Amino acid sequence: MTENKTSRRGFLGVFLGGGALATLGSILYPVARYITPPALSEAKLSQLKLDFARADIEGEPVKAKYFKYGRELGIIFITDAGEMKALTAICTHLDCTVQHRPDLGIIWCSCHNGRYDYNGQNISGPPPRPLTQFVINEIDGTIFISREDA
Amino acid sequence: MKRISLLLILSLLPLVVMAQEDNCLTCHRDFEDEDGGPSYLITRDVHIQKGLSCADCHGGDPSLEDMDEVRESRGWRGVPDHLEVPAFCARCHSDANYMHEQNPSLPTDQLVKYKTSIHGKRLFGKKDRKVANCISCHTVHQIANARTPYSSTHPLNLPQTCAHCHADADYMAEYGIPTDQYDGYRKSVHGEALFENNDLGAPVCNDCHGNHGALPPGMASISHVCGNCHAMQAQLFDKSPHSKAFEENDFPACETCHSNHLIEKPGDQMVGNKEPAVCVECHSEGDGTRGLDVAAAMSLAVEKLANAQAEARAALDEAIAKGMMTTDEEFRFKEVQQMLIATRTQIHSFSLDTILTMADAGYEKAKEVQTNSAALIDEYFFRRKGLGLATLFITLLVVALWAYIRKLES
Repeated sequence: MTENKTSRRGFLGVFLGGGALATLGSILYPVARYITPPALSEAKLSQLKLDFARADIEGEPVKAKYFKYGRELGIIFITDAGEMKALTAICTHLDCTVQHRPDLGIIWCSCHNGRYDYNGQNISGPPPRPLTQFVINEIDGTIFISREDA
Repeated sequence: MKRISLLLILSLLPLVVMAQEDNCLTCHRDFEDEDGGPSYLITRDVHIQKGLSCADCHGGDPSLEDMDEVRESRGWRGVPDHLEVPAFCARCHSDANYMHEQNPSLPTDQLVKYKTSIHGKRLFGKKDRKVANCISCHTVHQIANARTPYSSTHPLNLPQTCAHCHADADYMAEYGIPTDQYDGYRKSVHGEALFENNDLGAPVCNDCHGNHGALPPGMASISHVCGNCHAMQAQLFDKSPHSKAFEENDFPACETCHSNHLIEKPGDQMVGNKEPAVCVECHSEGDGTRGLDVAAAMSLAVEKLANAQAEARAALDEAIAKGMMTTDEEFRFKEVQQMLIATRTQIHSFSLDTILTMADAGYEKAKEVQTNSAALIDEYFFRRKGLGLATLFITLLVVALWAYIRKLES
């Protein structure tokens, strides 16, 4: 009878200990997953460090490169005057991606021939609004992009 | 003393103002309808807003009170006849010096262009009183520039302005031209963009036909007219083998496949080797060209990409609905959309190799989005299962605790 009591108590003890451990595990696992950085990371919206330099932009046939700024696509390009500028790259008409046209000296949307000047102002075609300018800071050859309102 | 003089001047001011009062408005408002009378409408007219008066157009002395005397007074021009209206307006609008004082940015070539239009040619040549003159489009006493929302030439109002005559079958009967342009336009991709989406960038009648020099675009100019907005398509088409073939057969460039006023939103079904593809309207089996084969291959490539895009969208939407972090995939999906647009545009080159390369690249990208979104959805279910398991463990623990406490109590 005593043996029986002991084994029942032992069983309960194991059951309780195992349950407590599993509970602890189910609490700690999400905590650990939360602390570990996710495989997909979102760019910091306050500032973006580009993984290419001015020379890389100059090396492109149209002297422009695209970058991902949070959820937005941006375009950074070099003007005729050698100035580096960055704008949002989504046309304000119907969301097509714009491109640099150094031959025309404009930012161009091929979907409906929408044209923007180098400051992002819509100058011809259907775009109803300008593109937004990014602020560029070049420090020791590294380009940092930020929004004026950030 | 100074103060008394000032008071005197101020007390006389109303008399001075009265003496300069525009009697045209005072009298005409007595008998004209408040809802549509010219003297009431005129408050919304750009000329009055710029400080001109009735007399500046119609002549006469506005300080006189008797209408008969006004008709006898200086420079009286009264109401112009339909045939005289262009000259009536051009008195100022073709005078570069005068217009420069009023509004230097306004062109002064309206009359010159009007004379080249069908309207102008018939009005001056055939003395046709039914064709449009300035006021037919600009209204008589509510003339406003095209950026003003109530203007008859504002993009949202212009199609109706032209349709006023051009959609009236009885009025247009003697000219022998169709009257379904407005109906077609309204149902077209452009009409839909304008009327349903309020897209003021959508072309209205004058964007293709011109305004003062309104003419139907000629055979050679159609691709230029459409190419003003659809620049890429026009460039690709001009370099394509179709460009020469169309020219030789007198087929208008864009219109042959896309129609003119009723331009429907183009769909992938337009390309292929069987109905409703437009290719079969010219090409047939054994016509000595590779037309149908190329059309079928283009159709397959675009369909494959469009399907992959739709599947990627569905997977992405599911991942978004499940609350997963999809920023990167949404971003990648935009690239897929862009590649689909570019591939569809490339059809105008009819270069199969280029189209296949672009479609394949888009397809790969779409599949990447789909795979990554599916992984996010799997992750969601993994979390749910984890939550279920944790709940089970906690429940078991509670039960065990309860049993243990009972044992201790006994």
